[in-house]
Amino acid sequence: MRKQILCAAAAMALTAAAAPAQQNSTAATSKAPNAVSVHPDFSGIWAFSIALPAPVLKRVENGSTSYAKVDLSGRMPAKSEVPGALPFAARPSFKADLQSKVKYLNDHEAKLDKVFFCGKPGVPRIGSPRQIIQLPNEFVFLYEDISGDPYRIVYMDGRGHDPNAEPTYYGDSIGHWEGNTLVVEATNFVEDTWFGEDGYFHTPTMHVYERFWKVGDDLAYQITVDDPNVLTEPWTQAPRIIKPSTEPLLESPVCVEDDAHRMDNLDHHLQR
Amino acid sequence: MLLAVGTARAHHSPSSIFDMTKKFTLTGTLTQVEWINPHIAIYIDAKKSDGSGVDNWKFESAPPAFLRRVGVNSADFKKAIGTTVTVEGNRARDGSPYGFLQKITFADGNSLAMVSPNEVNDGGAAK
Repeated sequence: MRKQILCAAAAMALTAAAAPAQQNSTAATSKAPNAVSVHPDFSGIWAFSIALPAPVLKRVENGSTSYAKVDLSGRMPAKSEVPGALPFAARPSFKADLQSKVKYLNDHEAKLDKVFFCGKPGVPRIGSPRQIIQLPNEFVFLYEDISGDPYRIVYMDGRGHDPNAEPTYYGDSIGHWEGNTLVVEATNFVEDTWFGEDGYFHTPTMHVYERFWKVGDDLAYQITVDDPNVLTEPWTQAPRIIKPSTEPLLESPVCVEDDAHRMDNLDHHLQR
Repeated sequence: MLLAVGTARAHHSPSSIFDMTKKFTLTGTLTQVEWINPHIAIYIDAKKSDGSGVDNWKFESAPPAFLRRVGVNSADFKKAIGTTVTVEGNRARDGSPYGFLQKITFADGNSLAMVSPNEVNDGGAAK
């Protein structure tokens, strides 16, 4: 990844250096990052969009009291209509003969969901990227996650999916523009992720489509999951509005979860 | 009041392990701080109620990602290692020396607490 970023940066630097002199360097002009200039620029840091506790931190220090909470808006469905959003449904439509399995997984989520025990959430549960680096022929998505801090490379050079790649948690991602919307198509996932809370299991045929577009200074984000082996139709989730952030990414602390033996019921609550 | 202190993603509900209907208070010496996912943990040496010795209690609290974003870092806890702290929380239902941390008061009187958003809406009047 680093090599690719450096190569792209070198290409941009070369282009910038060549432009003032009006040189006829085809090598430089052919690598000009025009894609960045004719499409919206999504580069930047975006709000942390993983569900966190709703309560408020109350700090009493030297006799004065202050309160602080976390903006959870990026994790929740947008509260108002989002221009450009696709029609969406509250939940996926599983095939009739699979609904009992979904219910079982959901009822036992507290013990069966590997994400509860530091497992990688995969796509789309990882949510929207914390940082986007937009390059001429690819996007780099960076994340902060309890299970670790993954990255994704989204190729924009017209290539197809790699037929020889091993299945992974974050899949094989390629993207294209539909007007000013970036559409990322990811597939080739391992089977042990769910595509949402509530036991949404899938098979290797799953494709996830992530749409990114700008609404003012905010980033709109909406996913569609398609797995004809388990769903009666593709499921498009409600859009999210992700605010810009100035909070730099930090490496996530190691994840250690050893509470399972203490659980005496299966209570759980909103996560993702 | 009972706080629905969600630990959010990557966890079961606190009520699956802790008795969230009862709060208890414990005073002891802070011995260790673990700044780990999905919850930080602190350890406290406290005298057994029968006076027969000391238990090393573990209290889990919020995720590091939450604490970071409300301006709390590991140093806020680690600077108190070796000093006396008082914690309020909920005890594990299995009876082990394990709790869910709702509030910690340090020796200098400063404190950190997870509170309901309602308390803020009440201007801090509600408890």
